[in-house]
Amino acid sequence: MNETKELIKREENLPESSRQIPAVAPVVDIYENDDEILLHADMPGVKKEDVTVNVDNGKLAISGVRHLEASGATNWEEFGDVEYQRTFSVPQSIDVAKVNAELKDGVLRLHLPKSEAAKPRQIEIH
Amino acid sequence: MWARVNDIDRMFGAMDLLRSRMNRLFTDFGRSYGEGYGWQIADGLPRTNLYDKGDEIKIMAEVPGLSKDELDIKIQGNYLELSGSRKSEVPEGYKFHRVERGALSFTRSFTLPSEVDADKTEASLKDGILTLSLPKAEAAKPKQIAVK
Repeated sequence: MNETKELIKREENLPESSRQIPAVAPVVDIYENDDEILLHADMPGVKKEDVTVNVDNGKLAISGVRHLEASGATNWEEFGDVEYQRTFSVPQSIDVAKVNAELKDGVLRLHLPKSEAAKPRQIEIH
Repeated sequence: MWARVNDIDRMFGAMDLLRSRMNRLFTDFGRSYGEGYGWQIADGLPRTNLYDKGDEIKIMAEVPGLSKDELDIKIQGNYLELSGSRKSEVPEGYKFHRVERGALSFTRSFTLPSEVDADKTEASLKDGILTLSLPKAEAAKPKQIAVK
């Protein structure tokens, strides 16, 4: 009897194994001009509310989770639920407060404006 | 006694977790930067899913950044051809640090599991995923057979 109890307890104590969705790095383009750095990332199927962008301590972390609505018998499946995540080092000269992001047609576009001090300046010769 | 077994069990559990993480490390690495990374498989073709819903076939394809004008879908009987192209969108006046997405054009063709009614096919494009609903042709639909 005691042993049965132990068995039940043991079952309850086992760490729950939840289904983890695979994480992949999205492909990105990074552009820069005098005013800002521009980052484009492909995240097909990710909804706006499932995207997070974090800038912290010189690190830019982007993440997007995709949940597909699949129904019916599967003949083939080459893509499924996935978490896109990737981290970049960004220079301290980025004005974090003015970072803005847009998501359109499965492409995340991030604008990272440079702070005034970091912009190149033309020095005039007197 | 059981408490000790439990401990050993946990230890193995932790080792399994470590092993699965290690395995994932390599597959993720391969998926992210190896051949066919991102949303494309070999030769720059988009990834697709095909579901059979009884009276219709549903096809989904990853086409991030493509507008509906850049996609072309052709159906003939049970043959479907999906083609599209994306221009490289280097913005004016920017220099690039990293270009992984680039321009591409692709054509991918499929043999569908059954004949479809091309006139009633619907296609929608949302968040970079193209979804095609292809109603099966009358002859290919599943039929209920009554036992006499």
